[in-house]
Amino acid sequence: MSQSNQVRLRNQTRKQFKRQLPLHLFVWAGILFLVLFSIIPMSGVIIAFKDYNIKAGFKGMFTAPWTANSGFKHFITFVTNRKFSVLVRNTVIISSLKLLFAFPFAILFAIMVTEVRSNAYKRIVQTASYLPHFVSWIVVAGIVYAMFSTNIGVINELLLKLGWIKEPIPLLLEAKYYYLLATASEIWKETGWSAIIYLAAIAGIDPALYESAQVDGAGRLRRIWHITLPGIQGTVAILLILSVGSLFSGSFDQAMMLGNDMNRSRSEILDVFIYQTGLSKQRYSYAAAVGLFQSVISLILVILANAGSKKISGSSLF
Amino acid sequence: MTALQRKRRIKRSAEDIIVDVVVHLVTFLLLVATIYPFWYVIVLSLNDGVDALRGGIYFWPRKFTFANYEQFLGDPKWIDAIFISVAKTLVGTGLTILFTCLVAYGLSTDGLVFRKFYSIILLICMYFSGGLIPYYLTLRTYGLLNKFWVYVIPPMFSTYYCMLAMSFFREHPPALAESARLDGAGEITIFLRIIMPLSKPLLATLGLFAAVSQWNAWSDTAFFAPSNPGLRSLAFLMRGVIVQNQVDTSSRVAMMKAAQYSATTATSIQMAAMIIAVLPIMCVYPFLQKHFVKGIMLGAVKG
Repeated sequence: MSQSNQVRLRNQTRKQFKRQLPLHLFVWAGILFLVLFSIIPMSGVIIAFKDYNIKAGFKGMFTAPWTANSGFKHFITFVTNRKFSVLVRNTVIISSLKLLFAFPFAILFAIMVTEVRSNAYKRIVQTASYLPHFVSWIVVAGIVYAMFSTNIGVINELLLKLGWIKEPIPLLLEAKYYYLLATASEIWKETGWSAIIYLAAIAGIDPALYESAQVDGAGRLRRIWHITLPGIQGTVAILLILSVGSLFSGSFDQAMMLGNDMNRSRSEILDVFIYQTGLSKQRYSYAAAVGLFQSVISLILVILANAGSKKISGSSLF
Repeated sequence: MTALQRKRRIKRSAEDIIVDVVVHLVTFLLLVATIYPFWYVIVLSLNDGVDALRGGIYFWPRKFTFANYEQFLGDPKWIDAIFISVAKTLVGTGLTILFTCLVAYGLSTDGLVFRKFYSIILLICMYFSGGLIPYYLTLRTYGLLNKFWVYVIPPMFSTYYCMLAMSFFREHPPALAESARLDGAGEITIFLRIIMPLSKPLLATLGLFAAVSQWNAWSDTAFFAPSNPGLRSLAFLMRGVIVQNQVDTSSRVAMMKAAQYSATTATSIQMAAMIIAVLPIMCVYPFLQKHFVKGIMLGAVKG
């Protein structure tokens, strides 16, 4: 009895599959694409443990000899490299500064926008706030140059005229300003965009809560504190987990555009190093090892942040 | 709510007024901080480059000229770059939308056999990657490096866009496709004639995201097409100029002397280039705002 049922079920599935065949073909096209451009590259990380020679072609990735130290030669070379601490320091400090300042700033911005009464003005502020997100980092670098450079920068000119400074501030030219520059430009570029998600979360809060709080005599600030903030807590937790996962990687484009020969000591991050060693200097295996090192640490960070968030607030990603 | 609001308007507490003042003041300052830099670049791009070095220009060009744009658009090197950028944006965006939506349509169909299996592959590819170097070596194996196709084929499908499209397609009533199937329509016809026309907000969102990332991309040229001068995009050429200007520490006087015989300087042409790069985006995104805000939410909630 149950066996015949099973057979019938299998037949049914087969029939359904046959009927759905065109749809499966669509999906297979996508899967084929993922195999070609995602799964096969994933298998290529094996060269991190090998001495790969580009002349050996694709097959050579798998037939190349394993490196010394049971395959971990490149990892050891990197960790003992004198540049290692500088790269890790720059990457982690810049990402942490962004997490510390840009992250709460977006929440603050979203709350302020919801507190604006005029709808027309609110729309103008929001629309304008998205613009920098759509602009490339290279244009942002050009804008920073126009605003802050020592020769045409309007801010330097203004400060000089006001007598607040004696010499123009070389924001783009001195390494000591780079952390500030990276954090501030990130805030300028992404605040409006990051705020979208909080704005939606705030819009989803039941307005009755605000009304009854008001009836009970709660002022604006207390309503923000006791209703708005708890209302977006879950969203904040999820986004925080994701950001912690990216503490060990940086914005490649930002570093390439705002970094230059003068501020290299602070602007060089892991992502830039991988590009330069891998593609410019063609040390493929070594750069792949650095990349793998970076992804493994990032993965560990996400898992830790997820566990932490689960314990503290009850919200988690997985 | 309205009655309450009316009541509030009559006796607004001091706290209310302070919050209002702070909120409006801060948002206004942020608005200015966002818009003014763009305006300043526009002003500089429309001002005589040598004259601009004297400083004192804030809100309006002093010595108005189109020379920067003429010089910029008269240079075949830049025209070629703009052509490449336009071509890869158009072709790339078209391919991405069509292919990603087709796969997402298949995946989002009700009662698809093996859906779980497909989703797992999708998720693995979403969260893991081999990193830049293995990716580069794979593209090299396929013979894509330094060819135009390297701009448009690898970004043709994205797991994130696919998730976005799937959550959108699931909002369509399944009866829609079902009734067309009963009428004998093939899946391609249903996809092109029924699903796509009903998904304009999704198409607007994906189109904007894909087009902006193509138009702005610097790294695809730098990583995968560095040795073919015919494939240099606008963003790629612009980086060369801007990073070079960054480290140019010559004083205003020296720059004026260097540009003695022309009305333009490297800087003023850079400003024109930036405006050309930003203008298409500025003209498009405000009109798609409603769609992409919704699109992000859809992706965030269900993805």
